[in-house]
Amino acid sequence: MSEDYEVEFIDRDERDARFVVRDITPAFANGIRRAIVSDVPTLSIDTVRVIENSSVMFDEQISLRLGLVPLTTPDDYDVGETATLALDVEGPDTAYSGDLVSADDRVEPADDNIPIIDLKYPEGADSPQRLEIEAEAVMDHGKSHAKHQGGVAVGYRHLQRIEVVGDAADWEDEPNILRGVIEDDGELVPTESFDHDLSKRYPGKEVEVHDVPNAFVFSIESDGSLPVSDLVLNAVDSLADRADELEQAVQL
Amino acid sequence: MVPVRCFTCGKVVGEHWEEFKTRTREGDDDPEQVLDELGVERHCCRRMLVSHKDLVDVVAPYQ
Amino acid sequence: MDLRVIESEEAELSIEIAGEDHTFMNVLKEALLETEGVGAATYDMNPEQSGGQTDPILTIKTEEDTAPLDALETAARNVRDKTDSFRTAFEAAA
Repeated sequence: MSEDYEVEFIDRDERDARFVVRDITPAFANGIRRAIVSDVPTLSIDTVRVIENSSVMFDEQISLRLGLVPLTTPDDYDVGETATLALDVEGPDTAYSGDLVSADDRVEPADDNIPIIDLKYPEGADSPQRLEIEAEAVMDHGKSHAKHQGGVAVGYRHLQRIEVVGDAADWEDEPNILRGVIEDDGELVPTESFDHDLSKRYPGKEVEVHDVPNAFVFSIESDGSLPVSDLVLNAVDSLADRADELEQAVQL
Repeated sequence: MVPVRCFTCGKVVGEHWEEFKTRTREGDDDPEQVLDELGVERHCCRRMLVSHKDLVDVVAPYQ
Repeated sequence: MDLRVIESEEAELSIEIAGEDHTFMNVLKEALLETEGVGAATYDMNPEQSGGQTDPILTIKTEEDTAPLDALETAARNVRDKTDSFRTAFEAAA
């Protein structure tokens, strides 16, 4: 009874992708979306050992900021496994996420220019402000803390089809805004190609918008810890693992 | 200091802060255009940068 | 995944599936409804704040000649097939 899905990419990028899936049920589509958000584990700093912090922020504030920095996540880490990182910056300078040095060179900040804290050399002070820490990044799920969410702004919407039902009345020259992706003669057209305005694509026509049944346009943005394709495949795997587990549990 | 991520959606916005600041506060670029070029599209993320003010320099003397 | 049978009759089964949430349960429920011989399938779960039962309870009603537990097994395999075929389609496009 297994279905055959059809996947077609509209935008494809490591960090941001859009694709259409056909013949997928709403429940399965939502299962994938939810799994991307909460069940794909990523590495994120969780424990910080502060060696010196003479900056204007408290240790806890610094730790929170470090935790939110996305780290690239190699695929051989298991949930609960840790990686060690360190940071040592002295004022007058700004500590950036890119200053984090990792023991495992596959684990590194996905973005290098996130300011962590501005360090000064105050006038009259005998030493500059300094931040020296050691941190443990741990692999965990998005449901335990939002910093472990690999996907930001993960969603889907129906693929839509436009039907021309007649001519528009003369006095109607209002824009007809639609956002998403439409299907026209089997071709996928993102609405930004006509400025999200149907009256520009079908001037002088009255149109109706219909949802294409069981065809969904996923739009997935990654925070950089995993490429979008890994995010999707890991999410699908997590569903598959649970299905297997249930099947075995039932057989007993 | 600028928040690392957007409070609402979780996109990393700290990454773009310094470029945004140099181009709009110290330069004369239009903030709308700069945000578009930086790929900060959603208005939840845009407000994070538009409404931010660095206070470290103000607080520093009282430390 | 811990299963705890709450009620078991010839054509009806209530079972608690510990540690799962809407992510998997809704997919499973739908797979059950697609399964032959299943008359009705639903699940019930309460939020953490309710203080009561929080793990989902799956209830299946089947037509004659179908044991609910067999239907559940078929549905689990169906979910597995869906994920496999999604993976194939996604990898082909990527």
